[in-house]
Amino acid sequence: MKKISLIPVLVVGVLLLYAADDFPEWGNPTAPASASSLSSHFISNTGVDTEVPNMVTAVLADYRGFDTMFETVVVFIAGMAVLAILKGSSGPFSKNKKYTSSIEPDLIVTNTVRLLVPVIQIFSFYVLAHGHVSPGGGFQGGVVMGASFIMIALSWDLETALVRFPLDKCFLVAALGIILYGGIGLLSMFLGGEFLDYAELANILPVSREMARYHAMLGVEIGVGLTVTAIMFALYANLSTEGKLKGGL
Amino acid sequence: MIDWFAMLVGGSLFLFMVPLLYRIWVGPTAYDRILAVNVIGTKTAVLLVVIGALFDRVHMFVDFAIAYALLNFLASVVVSRYLNRTAAERNVEEKTKGARA
Amino acid sequence: MLKKKRKEQERKMKDSSFIPVLAETMTSSLNDLNIIQIFGFLLGVLGLIFFLGAAVGMLRFPDFYTRMHAAGKGDSMSTMLMLSGLGLVTMEDYSLGSWLVFVKIMGIVLFIYLTSPTSTHVLMKAAFEDNHMPLDEKDLKKAKGKKK
Repeated sequence: MKKISLIPVLVVGVLLLYAADDFPEWGNPTAPASASSLSSHFISNTGVDTEVPNMVTAVLADYRGFDTMFETVVVFIAGMAVLAILKGSSGPFSKNKKYTSSIEPDLIVTNTVRLLVPVIQIFSFYVLAHGHVSPGGGFQGGVVMGASFIMIALSWDLETALVRFPLDKCFLVAALGIILYGGIGLLSMFLGGEFLDYAELANILPVSREMARYHAMLGVEIGVGLTVTAIMFALYANLSTEGKLKGGL
Repeated sequence: MIDWFAMLVGGSLFLFMVPLLYRIWVGPTAYDRILAVNVIGTKTAVLLVVIGALFDRVHMFVDFAIAYALLNFLASVVVSRYLNRTAAERNVEEKTKGARA
Repeated sequence: MLKKKRKEQERKMKDSSFIPVLAETMTSSLNDLNIIQIFGFLLGVLGLIFFLGAAVGMLRFPDFYTRMHAAGKGDSMSTMLMLSGLGLVTMEDYSLGSWLVFVKIMGIVLFIYLTSPTSTHVLMKAAFEDNHMPLDEKDLKKAKGKKK
């Protein structure tokens, strides 16, 4: 079976390699992706409109902010769905596990993680806040932050991590992130613009309209980061213990 | 000079990863495989810095490399933890079976 | 038709761009090297040698624990040497910004020096508790007998 499945993999691989030859060259200005009016608009206007050096962040959090907001909501719904299915389940999922062995936390791993976790969390803040200038942003920073909590849960056990970040607080924080995102959008609506039209925030912030968009993007990214952090950890806690929240992996 | 050096290091890294890929393919136990994956992951962090040197953006790719090294560590801890737990449960099952017999 | 075109393209690429450019960069850049870049270059090549050792060890050693010995040591050492070599070579001017990048690269080295031995240790512990015993003399004798 393994060898038969190798044949389609090889065929598809060869076809993909054959097709990869027809791609436009890297950085070619006449390639279809670069030649459309949309990308030239973004390239010429991002610096003027928003003062954000990183075009990707500007497009993600500002030009298509509506889309990103509902992406965050999708992340939240995924966490809710896992919780709704697994919460309090003891039936069909845990049939095979009669015995749950307890593993002693390893001395070397716990001490290494003790050293690493603060560094990782500061690095996640750096990724989140530096997303305007270098690659990064809310999703990436949130994942790194969630990974630090998962690391605690792995090296001690899940209870230790749940003391630091309880599950009900997880969903509170996740909802807070979405409220922060939508709140910035609504605030700009009340100030006279459209939904998620950050430039109107200049009425209450002591900065220019372009810098207002810059700062509002940071706020939006923080909202995304909060949601992703909390949902990452909640997903791990629920899925690794089949909803029992005891012992962990 | 930088381009030439980065091409040398990157190409050799890819070349020397081939034995590790062979170990992942053949590796008699799961531990051999995850060990080889771990080595490849560490070398991918180096490879990211090499790519940064090729594109003249080392300051940007360094951040990727840190994140990649972090996820690599997390992956190997997760897998060994999982294997550890399944082994412990298998041991207990064998013991109970032996006691019954 | 398409094949012919492609072949022509390939031929063009071969003789027009790649190799002469490589040779040109080599000869032109060898003139304006400073001592730090040469040092970084040597470090990088030394790291490649160490990584070759790790790869050969992974390929040739007989059981898991010996392979782990090769992988753990060679991996950490070669990573440190290669990254510090790259950090020294890519430093253009010796301003604060380029030193910051070098310090960040050293941060990666520190990170890998903390995490790589830890993950090796975790793997070793998992394998040992799985009753996965190292080879002993009996096994070696058996293997020799098989070869004969």
